[in-house]
Amino acid sequence: MNAQLEGIQDIDGTYAFDILQSIKALRINRFFWNMRRPHFRELFAKDPEALMDREGLNEEEKTLVRARDWIGMIRYGVNFFVLEKFIRVVRLSNMDVYAAMRGETLEEFLRTRKVPDAR
Amino acid sequence: MATILGGIGSSHVPTIGLAFDKGKHKDPAWAPLFKGYEPVAAWLAAQRPDVLIVFYNDHANSIFFDFYPTFALGVSPEFEVADEGAGKRPLPAIAGHPRMASHMAECLVNEEFDLTVFQDRALDHGFYSPLSLLWPHRPSWPGAVVPIEVNVLQYPLPTPMRCYKLGQAVRRAIESYPEDLRVVVVGTGGLSHQIHGERTGFNNTEWDLRFLELLEHRPDELARMRHVDYVRLGGAESVECIMWLAMRGALTERVRRLHQNYYLATTTAMTLVLYENDAAPAPRAAAMAADSGSVR
Repeated sequence: MNAQLEGIQDIDGTYAFDILQSIKALRINRFFWNMRRPHFRELFAKDPEALMDREGLNEEEKTLVRARDWIGMIRYGVNFFVLEKFIRVVRLSNMDVYAAMRGETLEEFLRTRKVPDAR
Repeated sequence: MATILGGIGSSHVPTIGLAFDKGKHKDPAWAPLFKGYEPVAAWLAAQRPDVLIVFYNDHANSIFFDFYPTFALGVSPEFEVADEGAGKRPLPAIAGHPRMASHMAECLVNEEFDLTVFQDRALDHGFYSPLSLLWPHRPSWPGAVVPIEVNVLQYPLPTPMRCYKLGQAVRRAIESYPEDLRVVVVGTGGLSHQIHGERTGFNNTEWDLRFLELLEHRPDELARMRHVDYVRLGGAESVECIMWLAMRGALTERVRRLHQNYYLATTTAMTLVLYENDAAPAPRAAAMAADSGSVR
């Protein structure tokens, strides 16, 4: 256990992205990372299944992508900052995904914010 | 000899850059943020630094987890703007300072900070989001930068103490640079926010204000805290405040706070602070009086 993170398991709804998570989720993280390239985005738009096969995603990962299961991906080990590129590709805003991870609608989430218009 | 004039801490939320590009300066939801940057931009305009040393982090754009440095120093003559998936922001590339960067790398490695050196990697919102509000850049930027990338994404991260000590070593490196350059050190990120997991949306203004107090007067206390303390108090992604600690480490023991702005709108407590070094030299130009009103 990383001594700097001792006690993190007691903080609910928080998933420290560490080396073991990074190893487990390297392929799906690289899959999303590649979406910063226009050509990769085109391939995904054309045939997502073929691209997921080519990139070696396993069944569990493919299911997460197909379902846009945001909280599932975080629990699996996807890093939010690569996920952000996928959020752009499917034309959602970060706010949509923040709400989804909390199990709320966008409207419900925005009601909890001080200045919801600052977007 | 190069001189450090002061330090700036600034959030690097990507929406700050987007709001800037869309010209939302007068939008009621954004005005409190943009107004907050004006005194610091005016201070920079008056002080006319030659080089900004910027502690920032890449957000899995130019650096990926297959090869992940803990600290990385940019030595290129120029740094492009990263395409983060929605096209590049309309900003010119910024000049690096290869001679100073190479001097800094030599000093830091000789002091046993074995950092990575990078060239030709674009900088993302972790760098350009605050820079675009601080420095005028049309048609080009008024000075050069030395970016220092910090791993705040994949644990183990460098400890808060290590970041503070890195800042102190950066100060020695700058002050041993033979050329007469004026330098400002910038730390980016924070303050409280969490943007992953069910705890997304967590903020803690009380802690943020305490953090600012400690940063100014007792940075050693912040340096002794652990990552988990930052996660608990400020939300998971607020751990990036260790980059503010690196900035603070590069300043004198006592600093003068010239400006502070705090604006929590949606998910991140967008914060800006300006410290002047205790023994800062007089401004280069005589006309700097207009800025004195910004002291709060």
